[in-house]
Amino acid sequence: MTTLDARQQILAANQAAAQELRQRFVAQGTYVVNLISSPGSGKTTLLATLARKLGRRQRCAVVVGDIATELDADRLRAAGMPAHQIVTGGSCHLDARMVAGALDVARFGMLDLLLIENVGNLVCPANYDLGEHCKMVLLSVTEGADKPFKYPGIFSKADIAVLTKWDLRNVVPFDERAVVQQIQALRPGGRILRASSITDEGIDELCTLLEQRVGACKAAAQR
Amino acid sequence: MHELSIAESLFELCRERLPAGHRLATVQIDVGELSSIEPELLRFAWQAVVAGSPHTDATLQVTWHRAEQLCPRCGEVAERQPGSWLRFCPLCLEPLSVRGGDQLDLVAITTIPLPADLEVSS
Repeated sequence: MTTLDARQQILAANQAAAQELRQRFVAQGTYVVNLISSPGSGKTTLLATLARKLGRRQRCAVVVGDIATELDADRLRAAGMPAHQIVTGGSCHLDARMVAGALDVARFGMLDLLLIENVGNLVCPANYDLGEHCKMVLLSVTEGADKPFKYPGIFSKADIAVLTKWDLRNVVPFDERAVVQQIQALRPGGRILRASSITDEGIDELCTLLEQRVGACKAAAQR
Repeated sequence: MHELSIAESLFELCRERLPAGHRLATVQIDVGELSSIEPELLRFAWQAVVAGSPHTDATLQVTWHRAEQLCPRCGEVAERQPGSWLRFCPLCLEPLSVRGGDQLDLVAITTIPLPADLEVSS
């Protein structure tokens, strides 16, 4: 019997592919956000809203993952956002190689902001680095106030948390304080925003945050 | 949920490390509380991944690591049960921070020489 010390991340291959992507994004000055939430909390709707607001000022594009359909990319293109769909064929998350392959095919050209809409799932996408600058997790007010502690992996890794469907906060029971405290416990110092794609509440704040980061990313690339 | 993808990546890593003419006997890994991995499901997925290969008897040994919730005044919250997160320090109500628990690492493998007449088809 031979014992070999083999200490290495299990997802080392994905990590290497993600690192390659990250170097490319940093060199090009493209800020990249990995958007993660459960199904139905409003990822595509929020992106369509961002397309309307940010699309005129920034060169944006979306890579969107879905298990079975191209519907999300169609919706985003209709909203004026260049979009490329990755149909994962059953896989519950995107990985770095899928994103690299999608970017080769999509040929978006130079971008200021690349938004990666992950497969709707709060568990698996948390493990797979896509070379992004930040993970943004969405939690809709209709989902229940205990979600951050139920899915601590993603809430501890996401630098920005957006409470979506904010226009419904008085229609459904939603304990904002409990949710905010849980997110803060898992990710001290992370940004927590509230947004509604129906009333546009909070959308400007999100756009401002993203544009600040796009600007910083661009300045770093030119240095 | 994605334990099968993790098991496949792990198996690939192990085979890269495997000396020629050996098979895997045990695989030791670290899994953290924040890794979004269920050790039992991972063991199940592992069995599925190694089945039918020369490594079909390889056992997966999972060491589970909890994350620590820390209070800036009182230090680590001692009585926290795995999976039951706290919003505040139970002693002084200060906001807490989190340390560790994100392990998802291969640690070591043990291997056994194959009988001379058996070729490793990987």
